[in-house]
Amino acid sequence: MLQITNLSARVAGKDILKGVNLEVRAGEVHAIMGPNGSGKSTLAQVLAGREDYEVTGGSVTFDGRDLLALPPEQRARAGLFLGFQYPVEIPGVNNVYLLKAALNAKRKAAGEPEVDAYEFLALIRQKMKLMQMSDSFLTRGVNEGFSGGEKKRNEVLQMLVLEPKLAILDETDSGLDIDALKVVSAGVNTLRDPKRAVVLVTHYQRLLDYIVPDQVHVLSGGRILKSGDRSLALELERRGYDWVAESQVA
Amino acid sequence: MSTALQSPAPPMSAALRSFAAQWQTRSADSLSPVRGQAMKRFLELGLPSSRDETWRYTNLRSLAAQSFVDAPRRLAGEIAPNAALSLLGEADRAASLIVVNGYPIMPPSGVEGIEIHGLRELAHSDPDAVKRFLEPLSDADQQRWALLNTALFVDGLYLKITGRVAAPLVVLHVASGEGADNIAYPRIIIEAAAGSSATIVEQYVAQGEHTPLSNSNTHIALRRGARLEHYRVYATDAGATHIDSLNIRQEQDSSCKQFTIVLGGGLVRSTLEAELGQRGASLDSYSLLVGHEARHVDCVNIVTHGAPDTHSNQTARAIAGDMSRVIFNSKVIVNAGAVHAHSQQSCRGLLLSKTAEIDTRPQLEIHADEVKCSHGATTGRLDPDMLFYMLSRGLDRDTAQSLLVYAFLADVLTGMSVPSARAAIENSLIAQLPDSQTLRKFR
Repeated sequence: MLQITNLSARVAGKDILKGVNLEVRAGEVHAIMGPNGSGKSTLAQVLAGREDYEVTGGSVTFDGRDLLALPPEQRARAGLFLGFQYPVEIPGVNNVYLLKAALNAKRKAAGEPEVDAYEFLALIRQKMKLMQMSDSFLTRGVNEGFSGGEKKRNEVLQMLVLEPKLAILDETDSGLDIDALKVVSAGVNTLRDPKRAVVLVTHYQRLLDYIVPDQVHVLSGGRILKSGDRSLALELERRGYDWVAESQVA
Repeated sequence: MSTALQSPAPPMSAALRSFAAQWQTRSADSLSPVRGQAMKRFLELGLPSSRDETWRYTNLRSLAAQSFVDAPRRLAGEIAPNAALSLLGEADRAASLIVVNGYPIMPPSGVEGIEIHGLRELAHSDPDAVKRFLEPLSDADQQRWALLNTALFVDGLYLKITGRVAAPLVVLHVASGEGADNIAYPRIIIEAAAGSSATIVEQYVAQGEHTPLSNSNTHIALRRGARLEHYRVYATDAGATHIDSLNIRQEQDSSCKQFTIVLGGGLVRSTLEAELGQRGASLDSYSLLVGHEARHVDCVNIVTHGAPDTHSNQTARAIAGDMSRVIFNSKVIVNAGAVHAHSQQSCRGLLLSKTAEIDTRPQLEIHADEVKCSHGATTGRLDPDMLFYMLSRGLDRDTAQSLLVYAFLADVLTGMSVPSARAAIENSLIAQLPDSQTLRKFR
């Protein structure tokens, strides 16, 4: 589904990604871990199409298409979703309007009719219940005045409504208490099926207790240094990231 | 006209000569002395130029080179329903008054709580009732066109609010000329008696091929404890030039909520001059200035705190796209003795194209102690983080931009207490944003 080959990228004149290779197949969940500043968020943003991040080399294909050639809105409509580490507040733009516009943009691109208002409300209420969100979310501006945890729930809510083929969740677990983490994880797990894939960017092993990954990768210094199964995450938890870097040198 | 005019210092521009010629055609009325004084002063001072403080950004040279004649008193045909951007549904308004090129088409004598008089008639029957709103005359450069209006207006409306009126009264100004050289002088006086309250919406639209130059003036006097919500909405065509002056005089504990909405016109200059003359007077001024295509919008607000415990709040939101230019100048003056005055100015500009320009200049002039005054001005482009977030959800770039513009203007729109007026203004606003079709669905 997603094939990243030797991807390099620069942010504000600084090389951050230095040849990332990664393959994600349909039905899989991958976790990308790594120390601060290793390039995890940059990778997520580059995949979503952030324009001020300059791709300096390599290629990315998504369902056989050249992902890097598409503008961000077309990547979204093709089925890619980024859950932001820091979801932006957009006062004055209603949360539900944005979601409805997003869903309709996707349906339009797929040649489907726009969603009917009642149908949409029923859909969103069902997903909100799953995410344990109160009705006040319906009337508020996008992330406006939301707590950190509410913002993350809102990201997952959007993901559930849009049903992407590939969801990239950038530290969706950070700042969540244990109850919220369970809710968010349950939300992500409902999306797991043989036709979809999830990439989790995270610092902490604990998320992987709730969303069990097929593969775990360590990104450090702009490259994937090590890949393995879930036991790699447990080992990282025990031994820290330095161990990976050292074992590479050795 | 009997009042002799001294010849002003040469050279006189074509426009000035034509105004002097119009003056000669006016017949004498009870207001002639005060009009003559205004005309004399106007001709001495001449048209404002870029050397004048409040006219720095608006060049009137091409206007000065033209000659003007009075616009007709009536429309050639019927008022086309589509000419009015029909701000309020029939059911939502107390009454609609139609004013053509400054001449009111007189409606039934009034509505419950508001007396309605024609100015010409009133000047005849009770000259002092009109005169007290024309004086004192000011030399200030922002008042230059108001002087000319005082000299040359022939008719207009005097609205006296006596009760508490819930439904808005709409004044629809229709500008419609017979040639490219027409000028109109609409004049409206609104007086709110002590303890009264009302909402008045003035809306300027154009009809027909030629839109006259409009030199309009509205004077608002609020007596003790009166409350007024006033709108002036400019929705004329891209070829139109509109110069509008609004004067507000507020007495003790009166409160005024004023909306200046620029949605149309080619060159729009709007002035607001308010005097919070007695203790406890408060003014909330909102400006929504939309620069579209080649439109030039120049908005000047001057608010004087003349008494203790007076409050003023100014919220201006300017957006400029295409090749447009929007200027917002606001000045708050706190006179000596106006202790505990409280003023706030917030102007924000949003540039939507590389060829557009926004200039904002909030100023403060404080001559009293123990006052609380703040001002802030920012101009920028759309927030790239917000834009990327919306794109990453699959929205079209145009839709995302329009939604953000719309959100930017929310501070002004949400201040409006009349839902139908707000809805109509939003509709008209959306039509000038990219991807208006999608935006309509969001409402």
